This record gives sequence, structure tokens and C-alpha cells, in this order.
Amino acid sequence: MIHARDVTKEYIDGDGTRVRVLDGMSLDVDAGDFVAVVGPSGSGKSTLLHLLGGLDVDYRGEVSVGGVKLAGLGDKALARFRNTHVGFVFQSFHLIPNLSALENVLLPSHFGAKPPDAVKRGEALLERVGLAAKKDRAPVRLSGGERQRVAIARALYGGPKLLLCDEPTGNLDAATGAGVIQLFQELHREGLTVLAVTHEERMSAAARRVLRLKEGKLVEERATAQAASGDAS
Amino acid sequence: MRLDALSRLVRLSLARERKGAFFSAFGVAMGVGTLVFFIGLGLGVGRVIREKIFPTDARLVDVVPSSVSLGLLGGGKLDAEAVERLRALPGVEAAHRKMSVRVPAVTRYDGVFFGTRLRMGMEVLAVGVDPDLVKGDVQLGEFKDAGEGQPIPALVSTRLLELYNKTFAPARKLPQLSSGMIVGFGFPVEFNRSYVSASATGPSVSSQTQVVGASDRAMFAGITLPLETAVRINRQAGVDAENYSGVTLVAVDPSHVPALVDAVKAMGLEIDDQERRMAENTGAAVALTTSALALLSILICFLAAVNIAHALSASVRARAREIGVMQAVGASRADIRAIVLAEAAVVGLAGGAVGTAVALAASFGVNRLAAGYLPNFPYKPDSFFSFPWPVVLGGVVLGLLAALAGAYFPSRRAAATDPARTLAG
Repeated sequence: MIHARDVTKEYIDGDGTRVRVLDGMSLDVDAGDFVAVVGPSGSGKSTLLHLLGGLDVDYRGEVSVGGVKLAGLGDKALARFRNTHVGFVFQSFHLIPNLSALENVLLPSHFGAKPPDAVKRGEALLERVGLAAKKDRAPVRLSGGERQRVAIARALYGGPKLLLCDEPTGNLDAATGAGVIQLFQELHREGLTVLAVTHEERMSAAARRVLRLKEGKLVEERATAQAASGDAS
Repeated sequence: MRLDALSRLVRLSLARERKGAFFSAFGVAMGVGTLVFFIGLGLGVGRVIREKIFPTDARLVDVVPSSVSLGLLGGGKLDAEAVERLRALPGVEAAHRKMSVRVPAVTRYDGVFFGTRLRMGMEVLAVGVDPDLVKGDVQLGEFKDAGEGQPIPALVSTRLLELYNKTFAPARKLPQLSSGMIVGFGFPVEFNRSYVSASATGPSVSSQTQVVGASDRAMFAGITLPLETAVRINRQAGVDAENYSGVTLVAVDPSHVPALVDAVKAMGLEIDDQERRMAENTGAAVALTTSALALLSILICFLAAVNIAHALSASVRARAREIGVMQAVGASRADIRAIVLAEAAVVGLAGGAVGTAVALAASFGVNRLAAGYLPNFPYKPDSFFSFPWPVVLGGVVLGLLAALAGAYFPSRRAAATDPARTLAG
């Protein structure tokens, strides 16, 4: 599903200093895997997620996701890739406040081919995350856990094979976070590839593989038998 | 990006930014409204000048004898031979002769003038013209010399009639007259007689004159008679009855006029373009004033565009995270740019349409006020405005363009949003 080789990402920080956040990193994730990437703040976890999701293409090295090589893709092709191949879940949910839960879920439908049953699909996804009864509510009238479920439903709208999650339980209390983690596990069991960067022990415990981002490289911290036989560095 | 999706996102965004959108549209409406109003006013006033005050036909060339005689060379005179040469010039469709009645004339009226007792005497100027020149304006009988002792058909100027109706008649409490009412009105004219200057050597000739219509081509301050009548009166008075005082050439089409003018001048004759120049000068003054006001209006549109740029820049900054989310779920840079431009387009179209509608409504109000409160001056039109459809459509399009111009840089800035940065944390 994910194949990354010798990826190096640098940026200039506020002091004008060049910071190398990924340094020749390589990563392989099989389809249907559930991977947690851990590491201290500023270690480049979110950056890794943005590279894999095609939000940031300013790097050296090779990244392919679902057989799509991201380097060299034009803006429109990258947008199509984000619309159909990956789904993002963010720590701060990033729901659009003046849209209802259902309208937030349907947001990706505005940027792809028009599906004939967009609303039905959106409602089905809300039902899948347990929020069918609250489809018309604005985000401000939903709890944190409910907002994150709406965000997950939105991430699933385009039918992605890969879910990229950036600290998905970071803003949730323990009980709510557990419910969201359980949802990720269910999605994983249904065949979805999940890659989550996290600080949370519970989240990494739920994953099949745990990789640590250290000094710009990924190291295997815990792997299942199948994953250990892979070539994650 | 699909149009229905774009429309949905723009509606949602404008609903959220109602206040900013309202003020942006208001600015556009102000600029467009004033521009459409002033252009409509300029065109309306220009139309009155062109069609009523100085009605000119672009195909006509008025030829007059040269004011400097060429002596033995014979140039500068407008005799029958010169008229034939003029008629033979390339591009000439017709040549209509004119001859002034070269003796003074007076009228003494003592009778009932359309229901009012009137007694007055005045000097009269008269000119004879080829009937073909004014045939469309003759409403009674034939415009030809009926011979001595018979009533002389006469045309009066429509402009003279307008001045009479708007100034002379109200001041003297005389009735207002339409061109139809004066047809058939008769008054005595005595040729070769004057209250103020010496007469020619011949006898004075008393005639009854009958008005047969009003014409734009009739002499302004006098009466217009058939050419043969003027020739007869001049001959009877023993003055020049051979040379014409002018010839009106009708060109095949306006494009032939410059060449005709050159050819006429080459014959040693002159062009009487005083009327045309007055029309052009007055038209230019109106155009200049309209342009200055239009410039002011365009400045308002420019300020509206700047306002839109400011409002959208602030909006784009405030919505950076939302834009990042859209990019994350599949929006391309072009999609983001299209959303911002479409928001501005809706604001601009609304502002342009409202501004144009307000201008039309204001012009209606001004016309009503002018009809009710302005005195009835000569050439006072029913409407001071003219709004051909390109002006109305142009107003709406200008609103759109001003808004799009204002949105250009904010849309680029929005499209350049880095989702990785805005969605971090």
C-alpha cells in the first residue's frame, strides 16, 4: 500500500535555520495493515503523514501510495489522489462550522465526480460511525467524540484504501478516545489500511505495528509476525 | 470542479460572510449606479441636441458661394452652371437649390391668432428652396409657386415653433401650437418693404402666405418658400435672381461626404458647416462632462474593487484552515481559486444589477421631478436619459469585472494556501 524510499524533507524554521525533519526515511506498509507511528513532538510525524497523503510534495526521495507515485504529479492529479485514495483524520477534527454533520461528510463529493447517491452514501457513513440521528447538527452541537466520528466519516467518503490519522484521539477524553480507537480497529478489520501518528499509548497498543520516528528515520518498535517479515526500516 | 458544487460552496460561504458581502456589493452598486446614471444622462442630453436642437443629416453638405470673388475665373458663384457641376460630382445623389429673397419683407398681423387677439408687425426673412428638399414636411397642398396673387405656401422651422411654444407664447399668453395646428394659418407679407432699411428699386409686392407645415430644414428665423417664388419676387424687385444663395447636396452615403467637401472647395465654393460645428461643439461639451462624471464613477468602481480585495483577503486569511480541509479532501488550487472568484462574481453581479436598477429608478424619479418642477424651456425633453441595452448590460458586466479584479490577488493567495501548514496541530 505504502512504499517510501530514502525520503528526505527539510524546512527553514523561524530562525532561518535549515531543519532536516526526515532524513533518508524508508517505509513499507502492506494493504490492510494498521500502523502507529510514534515519536516526540517535532520529530516529523505529521510531516510524514502530509507527504504520504500528497499534501506536501516538497521532498527528496520516492513515495508511492496504492501504486500511485506522488513525485511529479501535478496539482490536479494530486487533488484527485487525495479525493479518492486517502482519507485524513486530524486531531482538531477540522470540520467546517457552518455545515451540518452530513454536509461535512459530503464535502469531498464537491471535488470529485458527482456520485448519483451522494447523500445516501453520506447518511450511510454517518450511520456507520453511529451518528445517523445527528446528521443535521452543526459541529458546534456535537461532542468532541462525535465530531471526530464525523471527521472519520468524511475521510471515508471517497472510498479510500488508506486512512491517515494525525493524533486522532489527542483532543478526546479517555472514554471517547477508546470509542474512536475501536472504530479504527473495526475499519482495519474491514480491510482498510490505517496509519496513525500518535502520542497515545492506547492508540499504539491498538495498532498491529508500531514504528518510531527517530532522528528522521523510522525504526520498528513492535511488529506482528507478518509485519516483521516486511521491509520496514 | 462541477458547477453545482461550486454554486453550493459559494452559497454557503456568502451566507456566512453576509455582512462583508453586503458591503462589497454596496460599493459595486454605488460605482455602477453612478456610472450608468451619468452615461444615461449624457446620452439622453446628447440625443436631444442631436435630434431636436441641431438635427443634422450626415449625408447633407450645405454649399454656399465663396465670400471672396474670383473675378474673371468665375469661381465662387452659385449659378445654374455651378449647380449642374455640383450635381455631377461623384457621390452626389441630389442637389437642392436655395435662394434668399433678396429684398426686405414685413408682416403686419391684425386679427385673431388661435383664439387670441393679436396685433403686431415685424420684419420677415425668407428663403426659397427646391420642393424636394422639404417634401416630407409639407402637410397641405403642393409646395410650389402658384403665381402672382395666389397664396404663397410657406414652411416654418420646427425649432422656431419650439422657441415660440416655450418662451414667446407663455410670455405673451398666446396659445401653444403644434405643427399640425399651424397648417393652413395665413398671414400677409409685403415684399420689398421694410420698417428699418431701404427697399430695392422695384415695387413692393403684397402677398398672402399660408403655412403648409413645419420642417427641420426650414430657415430658422424666417419663412421658407418654394424656390420659384423666391426667384419671382427677386426678379420683380430687380435684384439678383440668377445666383443661388446655397445648394444642399445629398451624398449617396456619409462616407462620400469628405470627398464631396474637397471637391466643392476645389470649385471655389464654401461649405456652411456652422450648424454641424455647433452640434459637434455642444455634443463635445456634453460628452466631456459625461466623461468627467463617468471617470468619477469608475473611480468609485475601482475603490469598490479595492474594498472587495481587502474583504476577500481578510476572508481568505480567516478561512485558511477551511481551505486546507478542502484541499485535503480533494480540492485543487484551481478549485480554490474558482471558489474565491465565484464568490466575488456573485457579489459583483448582484452589485452591478442593483446599481443599474437603482440608476434606472433614479432616472425615472429625475424625469418625474423635472416634469413637475422644472419650467417648460425650449427642447425640454420628456426624458433626460437614454439607456440603450449595452449601457444596462455594461453596468452589470462592469460590476462583475470590478469584483473579479478585486478578487484576483486574494484568489491567488487562497490557491497558494499550504494545507500541510494550516492543518498542522
